[in-house]
Amino acid sequence: MLRNRNEGMSTIPEFSQIQFEGFCRFIDWGLAEELHKFPKIEDTDQEIEFQLFVETYQLAEPLIKERDAVYESLTYSSELYVPAGLIWKPGKDMQEQTVFIGNIPLMSSLGIFIVNGIYRIVINQILQSPGIYYRSELDHNGIFIYTGTIISDWGGRSELEIDRKARIWARVSRKQKISILVSSSAMGSNLREILENVRYPEIFLSFLNERDKKKIGSRENAILEFYQQFACVGGDPVFSESLCRELQKKFFQQRCELGRIGRRNMNRRLNLDIPQNNTFLLPRDVLAAADHLIGMKFGMGTLDDMNHLKNKRIRSVADLLQDQFGLALVRLENVVRGTICGAIRHKLIPTPQNLVTSTPLTTTYESFFGLHPLSQVLDRTNPLTQIVHGRKSSYLGPGGLTGRTASFRIRDIHTSHYGRICPIDTSEGINVGLIGSLAIHARVGPWGSIKTPFYEISERSKRLQLVYLSPSVDEYHMVAAGNSLALNRGIQEEQAVPARYRQEFLTIAWEQIHLRSIFPFQYFSMGASLIPFIEHNDANRALMSSNMQRQAVPLSRSEKCIVGTGLERQAALDSGVSAISEREGKVIYTNTDKIILSGNGDTITIPLVMYQRSNKNTCMHQKTQVSRGKCIKKGQILANGAATVGGELALGKNVLVAYMPWEGYNFEDAVLISERLVYEDIYTSFHIRKYEIQTHVTSQGPERITKEIPHLETHLLRNLDRNGIVMLGSWVETGDILVGKLTPQTAKESSYAPEDRLLRAILGIQVSTSKETCLKLPIGGRGRVIDVRWIQKKGGSSYNPETIRVYISQKREMKVGDKVAGRHGNKGIISKILPRQDMPYLQDGTPVDMVFNPLGVPSRMNVGQIFECSLGLAGDFLGRHYRVAPFDERYEQEASRKLVFSELYEASKQTANPWVFEPEYPGKSRIFDGRTGDPFDQPVLIGKSYILKLIHQVDDKIHGRSSGHYALVTQQPLRGRAKQGGQRVGEMEVWALEGFGVAHILQEMLTYKSDHIRSRQEVLGTTIVGGTIANPGDAPESFRLLVRELRSLALELNHFLLSEKDFQIHRKEA
Amino acid sequence: MVREEIAVATGAPRWKCVESRIDSKRLYYSRFILSPLMKGQADMIGIAMRRALLGEIEGTCITRVKSEKVPHEFSTIVGIEESVHEIVMNLKEIVLRSNLYGTLDASICIRGPRYVTAQDIILPPSVEIVDATQHIANLTERVDLCIKLQIERDRGYSMKTPHNDEDGSYPIDAIFMPVRNANHSVHSYGNGNEKQEILFIEIWTNGSLTPKEALYEASRNLIDLFIPFLHAEEREIHLEDNANGVPLALFTFHDEFAITNIRKNKKKMALKSIFIDQSELPSKTYNCLKKSNIHTLLDLLNNSQEDLLKIEHFCMEDVKRILDILQKHFGFDLPKNGK
Repeated sequence: MLRNRNEGMSTIPEFSQIQFEGFCRFIDWGLAEELHKFPKIEDTDQEIEFQLFVETYQLAEPLIKERDAVYESLTYSSELYVPAGLIWKPGKDMQEQTVFIGNIPLMSSLGIFIVNGIYRIVINQILQSPGIYYRSELDHNGIFIYTGTIISDWGGRSELEIDRKARIWARVSRKQKISILVSSSAMGSNLREILENVRYPEIFLSFLNERDKKKIGSRENAILEFYQQFACVGGDPVFSESLCRELQKKFFQQRCELGRIGRRNMNRRLNLDIPQNNTFLLPRDVLAAADHLIGMKFGMGTLDDMNHLKNKRIRSVADLLQDQFGLALVRLENVVRGTICGAIRHKLIPTPQNLVTSTPLTTTYESFFGLHPLSQVLDRTNPLTQIVHGRKSSYLGPGGLTGRTASFRIRDIHTSHYGRICPIDTSEGINVGLIGSLAIHARVGPWGSIKTPFYEISERSKRLQLVYLSPSVDEYHMVAAGNSLALNRGIQEEQAVPARYRQEFLTIAWEQIHLRSIFPFQYFSMGASLIPFIEHNDANRALMSSNMQRQAVPLSRSEKCIVGTGLERQAALDSGVSAISEREGKVIYTNTDKIILSGNGDTITIPLVMYQRSNKNTCMHQKTQVSRGKCIKKGQILANGAATVGGELALGKNVLVAYMPWEGYNFEDAVLISERLVYEDIYTSFHIRKYEIQTHVTSQGPERITKEIPHLETHLLRNLDRNGIVMLGSWVETGDILVGKLTPQTAKESSYAPEDRLLRAILGIQVSTSKETCLKLPIGGRGRVIDVRWIQKKGGSSYNPETIRVYISQKREMKVGDKVAGRHGNKGIISKILPRQDMPYLQDGTPVDMVFNPLGVPSRMNVGQIFECSLGLAGDFLGRHYRVAPFDERYEQEASRKLVFSELYEASKQTANPWVFEPEYPGKSRIFDGRTGDPFDQPVLIGKSYILKLIHQVDDKIHGRSSGHYALVTQQPLRGRAKQGGQRVGEMEVWALEGFGVAHILQEMLTYKSDHIRSRQEVLGTTIVGGTIANPGDAPESFRLLVRELRSLALELNHFLLSEKDFQIHRKEA
Repeated sequence: MVREEIAVATGAPRWKCVESRIDSKRLYYSRFILSPLMKGQADMIGIAMRRALLGEIEGTCITRVKSEKVPHEFSTIVGIEESVHEIVMNLKEIVLRSNLYGTLDASICIRGPRYVTAQDIILPPSVEIVDATQHIANLTERVDLCIKLQIERDRGYSMKTPHNDEDGSYPIDAIFMPVRNANHSVHSYGNGNEKQEILFIEIWTNGSLTPKEALYEASRNLIDLFIPFLHAEEREIHLEDNANGVPLALFTFHDEFAITNIRKNKKKMALKSIFIDQSELPSKTYNCLKKSNIHTLLDLLNNSQEDLLKIEHFCMEDVKRILDILQKHFGFDLPKNGK
């Protein structure tokens, strides 16, 4: 980029642009397109006609602001109004009214929807593009068979196949195949047409036998045969209209609708010129496809690569919303039709307004946002998470693949992914490779293709032209890789540069190059491009890093990274967490919760986010950056959001690390830290939890919220105000009552224990008519009540259900058991916190903050952390911040190492600390044991690394159970921490206990502590009274369950005792 | 320069401050030397001093705040630029100098608009502010900022979890560590067996005490720790049950009498290490014994039968069972009544 001064500046597109563009596409023409499909509706007597005048539809400005929508748990949406007309055929007079069709949820400029107060995002789906794909496979005889797969717009597949006898089959279901002739005639062409339209009629004729001839004699026969094979039914079906309709619905609509993209692909692949609006599969297509198939058989034509991105398409928000909108309109049509008929029958005069209801559209969108797998709750752990979430691309979802069945091929990186889908950033586990992330420069093109920019190198113009190319195009150009040395040299003539051409990597002379990539980051997604020295890391670790950066918790005091990549600024900016002035002006008022700007004669108030809870319970907070009286430019940062400093993303802290073993406390990726990180609040974060309770109406009456809770200690109720809700600002601990609630209950004498009843009789206590169902703070929860909200929904006639939400903020210091990670996939768990005087210390006495295991580096091959660590140390001494673009090796050999060493050398010289750079062991230093003062045997790598604290914290995970609830059916303890569950003693644990011969422990595990109902109740009694615990006599509950399940399969399992004396058989209940 | 002085210095080690500078009001630095020292001594003193400087020096901090109007630390006050939490964080960092014992009260009572700095804290006479310019809050409007503070002197750090006290105050995490950093290095000179060493100690403090004071304090703390060794050994610290008054004479093994005593003691030790858990008592008896602090066989033998009967819920049968067990397994008996 330095080469040409005339070249325009290219900036990275805004990260939420993909989402926003998609939504704009929907609003701009997706909406109109679907509205145009709305038909004129007539009643059965054809007297009234209803129609929408779609040209003048209107979207109203939303009534509420985004922030209010979140706070009030509402949907941020806009109302859609369309003029509608009702025409009376006999009188020819028309009644026109503007009708309210429904609410359309709106996307904010960050690409987020707010539905019922929850931030939601619709992620892009990657689907196989509709069209035809040719493949070849070896059959069991080792002979190639060629197949052409036709994929419809809905994902349905049908196949054409040519076997070794050159017979062509159409495979309509998994097992059955029928002759191409039969299927074509079923689609409506006769033999003559077929033979006229194909290139090799002799081949078609060669496999035409007598039976087929009869079948294709008439269309009815062909359809019958087709139906028989398709539906796999035997017997002799009779041709009928209903059969035809079923076939139409099941086959032609699902498997043959190509859509516009499919029609285009089909035309291209088969060299056809069928008009674009013909979106269905035609007999001509099938015949052309068969022609190609024959060509393939004889070695003409090329096979397709299904995994190539040119054969994929993006189904974006626009398409998903448009589909839903279409669905809603169909529902509306049915409603209108029904109402018209009803009105006519009852001799009522309808108006357009009472024909149209808003329910179909509103409920359709509600269920779409609530239930569709691609509509997800926005992950808001930190600012990075938010933007990355909107840039995900998924192969999953309706019409797509499933995690369990997807092949390895499809999960793999493909050469066409370059610059479009990140080769690194994907989820781990079952969905690996299926959920990807778009590269930072990628764009979604008009036909659902992903485009990436290149510089076009042409002889004619001096200027380098930026062109966005789709995957089908750039393959045929020679693309010089952006990381080659030659690009930045003056003379390119005799240079040979590494280049990509047709999925190969070649070394090509410079003059043959057509395109070059524009930016070293072009290949990577947002998460991966925040890793400094990524080129020195193994891809697996880089993957982990890009995933873990998204799990970093915003800290109470953030800090910029010393070593970064330069994209931190844009990441923070596009995430929208910091407040940015939309225009220039002067700050006339600042406070913690708002900033008031004045400019051009009017004032604008910018509200700030105050200790807001994100859906991962992290704390979102904005802090003013400008002072009163300052003049502000447009785009200047007014307030820093969570995990941003000075407009840059700041997820972690720069801490002094050493790579050395320390008494085994960093065995297996454990990390040893200094107490300084705890008491200086280096890694202190705030977490805000929400606790919610609702009141319901029971058969005995409504529930009450009150302070008067009988039978509870006053200590637990100490925080309640007179309404029975916890007071703002009170400190609450586990078990405290947050909201006092009583549920009415009929007092049944029998429900009390005998001694209870006796007491009542003696003391004359009134039988309580209610049961306490209070909101208690669950285990692990403690903190300060920072907000209490009482929401009253307008419910039915007399009773309004109430919801009470209590927000509790918690301050969490770093603890043993918390997870920390660097930006190179180097993660670990805190194993010990040492006082600062015990930590190893440097030659100037500074104690180290963290000790990592050196063995965590070689096998993981994430050497980037070493570079970062040393460069961070230099930056710390020199007061510099480095922004290192990846692949700096293109400037010279070992550029990264040279940079790090030269900076270290300079730091050592400037600060007169010779130990910072020692030529015998550069980067390492002799350090001392804080407990003894002895130097360690070997020089140790020390430096400043940027370390993140991740959301996986012990406080959320620690769990134990002594007694608790049991599952209803198996009577075994429940699972999971949330339900106070037990720890499963699985089969391997049982083997271990068996192996040790600890029979009693094993028995205890399987009976008293698990599902032997009687004995586990007795245990409680005997431990109170004192005495020996009886052995459980019979089988535990899960065994009884097994017996009963066997019985339901008509297998009887019984238990008999045969007496030794008289051979009497005693039947026992099993 | 230093070397010349060292050449002069012989005999008893002496110390000297060779470098001292005040980088800011809250960053003092000094470098000291101690010489001459014998081989190995410098290291010994150095590490002890470093650890004492980092871990043992006391400091003064604000440990508790109370404000009438503020409901909780995540709220905001109109007219103040900082949130309550930020003010609390600023208060945490204020460096104080004192030599008080116990806790003292201080307060801030300011009316805006103005900047509030550490200078505005109204302190008791024994406490001083080190850096009067330390920022606390910025009042942008005509509002009152009234905070009551509590000051404590301690060492290390304290992190208290708040409780709902009646007075509505909450604790601040305090860091009582006036020494920012300390380092030592050893320089040895001389030849052969006559090697001598110089100890360099570098100290950075936060201004609440000078490095010299810190050095003094650390040495005093160290001396205090060693003083017990200067006193006579306390002989009967661990053997609480030496009825015969014979100490566990470690250095008189040749004495016959001592050996028998050791044997006796050994048996007692053995009894002490047998817990009643091992003696197959019924769980009720076991629980009763545990409740009355009888954990080992030795504890049990120290009680008479009468004593046992005094235990709550203890009946004759239980005592009998215990007697049986003792007889059967150990051959002991319990005295009928107390001594």
